[in-house]
Amino acid sequence: MARLEYQASLDSLESDLQEQGEVVLRAVRGAMDALETQDVGLCDEVIAFDDEIDERYHRIERSIGELLAQQAPVASDLRLVLAVLHSSIHLERIGDQSVTIAKLTKLSAALEQHTELVEGLCEMGARGVEMVRRSLAAFAGRDVAGARELVDLDELIDRTNRAVVDKVLAMSATPEMQEWGMRMIVVARCIERIGDNAVDIGEQTEYLVTGEFHEFSDASH
Amino acid sequence: MTQTTTASPVPTGIDLSTISRPASRLDTDPRGREVVFGVDGLSVSYGGALALDGVSLEIRKNFVTAFIGPSGCGKSTFIRCFNRMNDLIPGAVVDGRVLYHGRDLYGSNVDPVEVRRRIGMVFQKPNPFPKSIYDNIAFGPRVLKLTKELDERVERTLRHAALWDEVKDRLSENALGLSGGQQQRLCIARALAVEPDVILMDEPASALDPISTSRIEDLIHELKREYTIVIVTHNMQQAARVADMTAFFSVELHEDGSGRHGTLVEYDRTTKIFTNPSDRRTEDYVTGRFG
Repeated sequence: MARLEYQASLDSLESDLQEQGEVVLRAVRGAMDALETQDVGLCDEVIAFDDEIDERYHRIERSIGELLAQQAPVASDLRLVLAVLHSSIHLERIGDQSVTIAKLTKLSAALEQHTELVEGLCEMGARGVEMVRRSLAAFAGRDVAGARELVDLDELIDRTNRAVVDKVLAMSATPEMQEWGMRMIVVARCIERIGDNAVDIGEQTEYLVTGEFHEFSDASH
Repeated sequence: MTQTTTASPVPTGIDLSTISRPASRLDTDPRGREVVFGVDGLSVSYGGALALDGVSLEIRKNFVTAFIGPSGCGKSTFIRCFNRMNDLIPGAVVDGRVLYHGRDLYGSNVDPVEVRRRIGMVFQKPNPFPKSIYDNIAFGPRVLKLTKELDERVERTLRHAALWDEVKDRLSENALGLSGGQQQRLCIARALAVEPDVILMDEPASALDPISTSRIEDLIHELKREYTIVIVTHNMQQAARVADMTAFFSVELHEDGSGRHGTLVEYDRTTKIFTNPSDRRTEDYVTGRFG
């Protein structure tokens, strides 16, 4: 094996991505736990934690800039570098969704809540966490079939997201409940986006392995 | 007021017809492009020792085609088959077929001198004649009796090789006084002066500094509008920068351990070779993990 330093840089880039993934998963889990327990303190922690996620993204971006400048990667190395960069951006956005969920939870803390809907959102969030976890595992294992399975999981989240609006409309008897419901529609939308970002990481896995980029599902989805 | 709607394939109203396609010379799709060289089962031996075995590929018109590969892979041997330079090496035997615009380049009625007029060559080390800049360019046209409006031809050719502005006031000076990069552009101009169809370049920038190299590369981009260019390079990034198509050659050991020869591993669009090569050996070479 030649270019040992170069290979070490690529390996380290990939482990940085997986570590960023672990950190982002903690943020999503934290945001969902805060929603379930109405823990405003935990919401603040999730919001503050976003700086850590952003820093990890910027570190990966800097490393990639240096690799491109110094090593001029090509072929599967180039695909790895591009796939890591895109996946890192998707993870950073998942972090942002967690922050939004935490902020909405804080804003809704004093409002009357609909327990059944909160449970539904938490279940939806658990699916989102599972999707992110699987997307990272598929990337690490170069598992294209596993990456493609994310589309099926995403469909479940999308379906729940669509049902949330109907539920909110049906339950909104008081202005206070309406306000809470509106905020929860946005929470559902954030979780739905987390699922989409996990699918995006899956698409990067397929690109990394095959050299071909395909959207797993079209825009009408 | 009545509104009418017209059926459109694009419901958003975006008119896709206004998005222009690139001009055909910028189109990197090799399909449908005229084949300049058709090589079929080409093998070359020197004194009975096999140097290159069984190469088949097509070189397309107005493309830059790069040959890359490790030392001893036969890429220079191969490029020399395109203008019969191997004829000049005692003991060299070329088997297989090279068609040039459909005509057998090694046919008995083909004049190698005429071949080399149509298919010019530039070498690794600039090799201007120890004559004036003007006479270097005028040499080929004079031999071929293309002396009508010779001054204009010299100027046109030097402009073509992006050298005119640098030498126009010293055409009578000895060409050996030019810098290495200028000498190489002079050699390219000398090849252009006899109006070739193809320019072969064997490591044309490997002896030059980065600035001279980038000038040669810019020149290659310009020249492919009118010429078909084949280039051998050790510098993979150079192939990635200038070539439309890239052929990767490798070295194969003989089964009986008696020696080794070059072989064509993969030939594809340059973007494919450098982003998603089909063969593991190409992948290992372009990523620097060869050996």
